Amino acid sequence: MKPDRRTFLAASLGLAAGAAATALLAHPKYHINRILPRSRVAILTADSYSEDLAQILWHGLDLFHLDVRGKSVLIKPNLVDYIPGNHINTHPLLVSAATECFRRLGAKTVLVGEGPGHQRDTELVLIESGFAEQLQRQMISFVDLNRDELVERPLLASYAGLKSLWLPRTILESDFVVSMPKVKAHHWSGVTLSMKNMFGVVPGAKYGWPKNILHWKGIQESILDICATVPVHFVIADAIMAMEGNGPLNGSARRLDRIVLADDAVAADATCARLMGFDPDKIVHIRAGAQFLGNSSVMRIDQLGEVVCFPEIPFQTVPEFEYLRLNRDLEHHT
Amino acid sequence: MRMDDPQRGSLLCVEQLIARQLPHGGWPFYSSAAQAAVEPTALTLLALPSTLIRERARAIGFLLQIQNPNGSWPAFFGDDPEGSGFTGLVVYALNRSGAKGTATDRAIPWLLQSRGWESHWLWKWKFRTTDRHVRLDPDKFGWPWTPETASWVVPTSYSLLALKDGIASSRPGLLQFRIRCGVEMLHDRICPQAGWNAGNGLVYGTGLAPHPDATSIALLALRETPFNDFVTPSLDWLEQRSQFCCAPWSLAWAILALTAFRRATKTLISRLESVVNTNAIADCASLAVAALALNSANGANPFGANS
Repeated sequence: MKPDRRTFLAASLGLAAGAAATALLAHPKYHINRILPRSRVAILTADSYSEDLAQILWHGLDLFHLDVRGKSVLIKPNLVDYIPGNHINTHPLLVSAATECFRRLGAKTVLVGEGPGHQRDTELVLIESGFAEQLQRQMISFVDLNRDELVERPLLASYAGLKSLWLPRTILESDFVVSMPKVKAHHWSGVTLSMKNMFGVVPGAKYGWPKNILHWKGIQESILDICATVPVHFVIADAIMAMEGNGPLNGSARRLDRIVLADDAVAADATCARLMGFDPDKIVHIRAGAQFLGNSSVMRIDQLGEVVCFPEIPFQTVPEFEYLRLNRDLEHHT
Repeated sequence: MRMDDPQRGSLLCVEQLIARQLPHGGWPFYSSAAQAAVEPTALTLLALPSTLIRERARAIGFLLQIQNPNGSWPAFFGDDPEGSGFTGLVVYALNRSGAKGTATDRAIPWLLQSRGWESHWLWKWKFRTTDRHVRLDPDKFGWPWTPETASWVVPTSYSLLALKDGIASSRPGLLQFRIRCGVEMLHDRICPQAGWNAGNGLVYGTGLAPHPDATSIALLALRETPFNDFVTPSLDWLEQRSQFCCAPWSLAWAILALTAFRRATKTLISRLESVVNTNAIADCASLAVAALALNSANGANPFGANS
């Protein structure tokens, strides 16, 4: 049967609508691609927070042949709050060791910057967590990213539906950003690692304490948008004493005795997730980040230090994230 | 620099603040920055003695100049025009500085309509059914930091301070409703051990630790409401917590709150004097609150006087 003109027109319109819908759905939500051909991760052993960390870190960094000579380095630890006895923050001795190493590597400047999410008095957290003393002793400058000068930047990914964010001038003008997370389970996002750590660059002076707009727009989505816009050049993750359960504040300490270094935030977080006994592919921001920010597959990660050891008992989580736990039968696939 | 008496210490803080005033009349958070922000400017305006006519006029002029078309205030110079959770603080500071007028009148309708998103029926339903990990009653709402987000303790407290400060509204019923609802919201979000964190007091069944600054600002906002089971234990907690607090921002807010409730602050003021090295406080907001707290030793507390 020969189609008449009306049928042809209707079919054409149907096809055009279908193509438009497909194009819309298939349209990537990211406008950059930072995936390296191969990523490098080093897992180092460190069984305590001591002055020895600088030496351990120096040997670890040596594996990466980093060139930071003449560059402005911004170290972004995870500094949330201070609750006596809780391992909430990146340890100040590790941050101090990292600063020393980057200075030795010839960085022009090394700053430490953070914008705590709930606690408005950053100085109180610095004092009570032992950071202030360490910063003073090492003569390290600290920038409260919550109260820095702000510059509006269009986002380079659109998962959360925000077009732009006001971001601290200090972080935008830094040549080399080092994310230094505390390895923790997190009751809203499953884990908080080097990518989630970048929430701290979103300024409280604009978005409040906490940065609630990011919660309403979606935590996993916001992590992706922030990491697309503010590149993480290197990761030093504090997994010496990690946190499981009801993180990021009220979980339990979990000893891992490890420091994880990486030149790729996605690779770092995928590795940390494995060390926690989680399947990184089940963590939304790691899985989506692997499409444009970095590598999560072990096939594309060069392990420079120790090999990844899955824990006998995976980290505890809140019930909603128990599905993250690695299926041990499938370990070899991940 | 060790200071000898609180009033002298306050004046030294003020001198530092005057030196940091930007050409357009505002203050940045960090002394090295050139971008004025609303919170340090409003707090400094409260801290400037009435004799500093020129500096106060420039500060007021700056705040009036950057008011948003909708009557709210941005968080900083150049910010988006939707409005921020600092609007209540600016209204309070302008009222207290004798600058009540058209600008503050324009801000009141914005404050009356701005509300945390948990008050929306859809989110009420969500918090009552699917999202039960955060303990809150969405019928008790206050003010958000930014539009389209939930209520938080500090913007709610700043807004209550403004609305309770003898302002007039063409909608007195709504005004009373928002004050009552904001007070109830603060009562609802209190931490299990008393005092306030940034927002909710309980998440995933675990009580959050209160923060000295949020607790102080909430107490100041509740000052003229009848005493109840929330205020006294929160004051007790704040008094105890302040005994080992050395950070100027938190310590100064605690002094202002405890003074307003006629609690003893002599030792805290002495500690603030020793802590406040005016050359070392880079943050103008902290310096302004320190100036206010040190001056409160003389009975001058802009958050404590009857309206």
